[in-house]
Amino acid sequence: MLKKNVYARYLLAGGLLLLLPLLTHAQSYDLLIDNGHLIDPKNNIDRVMDLAVKDGQVARVASSIPASDASKVVDASGLYVSPGFIDMHTHVFHGTIPDAYLSNSFSSLPPDGFTFRAGVTTVVDVGDAGWRNFPIFKEQVIDRAKTRVLAFLNIIGGGMKGGVIEQNNEDMNPKMTALVAQNNPEIVGVKIAHYNGHEWEPYHLAVEAGEKADVPVMVDFGSATPPLSLETLLLEVLRPGDIYTHMYGGDTSPDGVRQAVIDENKKLRGGMLKAQERGIIFDVGHGGGSFFYPIAVPAFEQGLKPNTISTDLHTGSMNGGMKDMMNLVSKMLNMGMSLQEVIEASTWKPAQVIQREDLGHLSEGAVADITVFDSMEGEFGFLDSREHLRPGTQKLETELTIRAGEVVYDLNGLAAPMWNE
Amino acid sequence: MFQKPGDKIRTLSARGWVRNVCREMSIICVLALWMVLQGWTVAVAQDIDILLKGGHLIDPKNGIDERMDVAITEDSISRVALDIAPGEAKRVIDISGLYVTPGLIDMHVHVFHGTDGDSYIADSYVSVPTDGFTFRAGVTTVVDAGSSGWKNFRLFKKQTIDRAQTRVLAFLNIVGVGMEGRYEEQNPEDMNPVMTTLMAKKLFPEIIVGIKAAHYWGDFTQVDKAVEAGNMADLPVMVDFGEHEPPLSLETLLLNKLRPGDMFTHTYSYTRGWEAVVDENFNVKPYIFKAQQRGIIFDVGHGGGSLIWHQVIPSMKQGFYPDVISTDLHTQSMNGGMKNMTNLLSKFINMDMPLKEVILRSTWNPARYINREDLGHLSVGAVADLAVFNLREGEFGFVDARGRTMKGNRKLEAELTIRAGEVAWDLNGRAFPIWDEEPLRY
Repeated sequence: MLKKNVYARYLLAGGLLLLLPLLTHAQSYDLLIDNGHLIDPKNNIDRVMDLAVKDGQVARVASSIPASDASKVVDASGLYVSPGFIDMHTHVFHGTIPDAYLSNSFSSLPPDGFTFRAGVTTVVDVGDAGWRNFPIFKEQVIDRAKTRVLAFLNIIGGGMKGGVIEQNNEDMNPKMTALVAQNNPEIVGVKIAHYNGHEWEPYHLAVEAGEKADVPVMVDFGSATPPLSLETLLLEVLRPGDIYTHMYGGDTSPDGVRQAVIDENKKLRGGMLKAQERGIIFDVGHGGGSFFYPIAVPAFEQGLKPNTISTDLHTGSMNGGMKDMMNLVSKMLNMGMSLQEVIEASTWKPAQVIQREDLGHLSEGAVADITVFDSMEGEFGFLDSREHLRPGTQKLETELTIRAGEVVYDLNGLAAPMWNE
Repeated sequence: MFQKPGDKIRTLSARGWVRNVCREMSIICVLALWMVLQGWTVAVAQDIDILLKGGHLIDPKNGIDERMDVAITEDSISRVALDIAPGEAKRVIDISGLYVTPGLIDMHVHVFHGTDGDSYIADSYVSVPTDGFTFRAGVTTVVDAGSSGWKNFRLFKKQTIDRAQTRVLAFLNIVGVGMEGRYEEQNPEDMNPVMTTLMAKKLFPEIIVGIKAAHYWGDFTQVDKAVEAGNMADLPVMVDFGEHEPPLSLETLLLNKLRPGDMFTHTYSYTRGWEAVVDENFNVKPYIFKAQQRGIIFDVGHGGGSLIWHQVIPSMKQGFYPDVISTDLHTQSMNGGMKNMTNLLSKFINMDMPLKEVILRSTWNPARYINREDLGHLSVGAVADLAVFNLREGEFGFVDARGRTMKGNRKLEAELTIRAGEVAWDLNGRAFPIWDEEPLRY
């Protein structure tokens, strides 16, 4: 053993001497993610690749990048590497105003404790703030979070303060909404939600704001008695590129207040696939009451898959069936989407939908927002938002999350040195 | 059952009737005897709301570390036994192969979340909203360690304690404004033992379980004031021994200043202005053992800077165990080496602390040190706060507060957390039926 060690030392010393020119050569990369299986849907990459980061950006993607070129190397053998996830439906305007629901109040969550551990580097807050209170949202959340926070502005000027406040037709101002949207680069869309009436005018106003600001509109289809026609919404009211969220929510019974994508006979409603072809974005928006297997499974089997996978994160969903983005992505994987499909639906696709094509991919020069994850096999269970269980066999686990080149979450110390070295 | 027309009506002779009655009576008698033997004092079906079946129970207070079924009725533990019949329960959750323990008590957290941009931990951004960090890690009770003082405790209560599903208890800061900022914490004039005691004993004795002294740069003034309040209020004091240049004597603190039952937190810290528990040769200082024998409680309080492998690994090897394992949860620790309570407990498991010792230090020990002996165990009648864990095996890594890794092969994962009889976290849907085997719910 001793002798062997001596030889090994000679070999090591010799090797080091040979390597000396390389070592003295300045290391050109800050971080190398070595030997991971890279899935980058925008660039059609789905194979083992090395990825190098420098100054917060993706510097190089190649089959082989020498470890000596980087000051820090992460061995990602056996793991997957993807663009940082973009969670296109969250509620992060946390605050302490009583009785204000998701707008500067207790049902919203500060993002950083829920994102990085789930592989997310960008969240889109959908409608917590309206044009009147967006500046508070920016000061309190956007400017303080390490997570990139973008926003859809609520068509209601006061934002998502709860059922009653969201019925105020006089606070729906497309002009002001569009103006504030145009003047704040973090605003990437307009939201209408929880509207309780049997008229289309509020939806038209949201679309008007979207048109003026050249951003998409996201619809939470509220409720109405009798229910408004989902087909009309998706084929006539909304424009291609607009978003229908809570796609597996609603109600299948004819006297329900919101139409589900399937009818009472579990048949996909007419117009759903046509709407998707037309360019309507179907968004999961799981939440605490918007993902039901009795709707999702038949709809999925009849061909209606999500364009974007998003959590609808807030206090009502964080401890329920949703849990976090990685759990939700795993759930969709077990529903029958492929790994490539779920990654595209949580990276490149949402980036395109919100017209932020600088995000959601790992092209050279792109910001280094990166997720490294493991795929585990075993017996797992996934709950929907009414505590229905669906067993599964595959589950993803976040290993490492990198935001603008910085390690922001490292489950097993992949990027950390050993304690006793 | 109704008789249909044309059914043959059975007739019995008197003798036959007597014989039948006797036979049935004897069956009933045998059944009754059997039920008595089974320990059924009252044979009422389905008294149990939730039955956790087949798990390995670790309940350190009651000396249990074996396979046991646990029954919950309403919000309390109704029975703990080797084998409880599934038929007695409205809902049976199979937890074979898993561990079940009292809900964890995290004795050091910062959850006075708010939006005061000028403040540090009190009513501000460095504190986190509780429920998103507890149940997923098996925690059902947290103790906020001094985020608020007597001046802002009411706001803390209104904003956090009254709204959380997690049980939130608190150490009241000896500084009136709590952890508003490092400078405010240096103000001896805002350290008022009388007001602190009144708040703790007269107004909120159900919530305030101790006094906190932290982040002080000066002499022993702050510790003395905290102990004064602790004496008046008959409560323990927890000390974060601050930043002193040169460091104040840790030996004096532990042997002369603190009382048995008082707590020293951030035990395995190593930082400027702080005397560490191990010396430069990595030997645990003799007075540390002496202090622990004296009854000083050593609390982990991992945080963003207070668990260093070079401190804790030698300590563990030399038999210096912490009395309480706690996270010091806040935004600076949640995404770092600490992560959450299960990750922290896993660190100690991988330093070869037996699982039951780990559970003791995160359930019954903190409960009794904060004088809440109603918590931290699963005796019959206790509140049904429970955690169910999977002990995963594999190759894992654990990062300390200096960004260095220790390898390990076991890791705890919170499968199911129950708070006052209610399922508050269910990782794999163990508590619920398969979606297409029951009526649809929307």
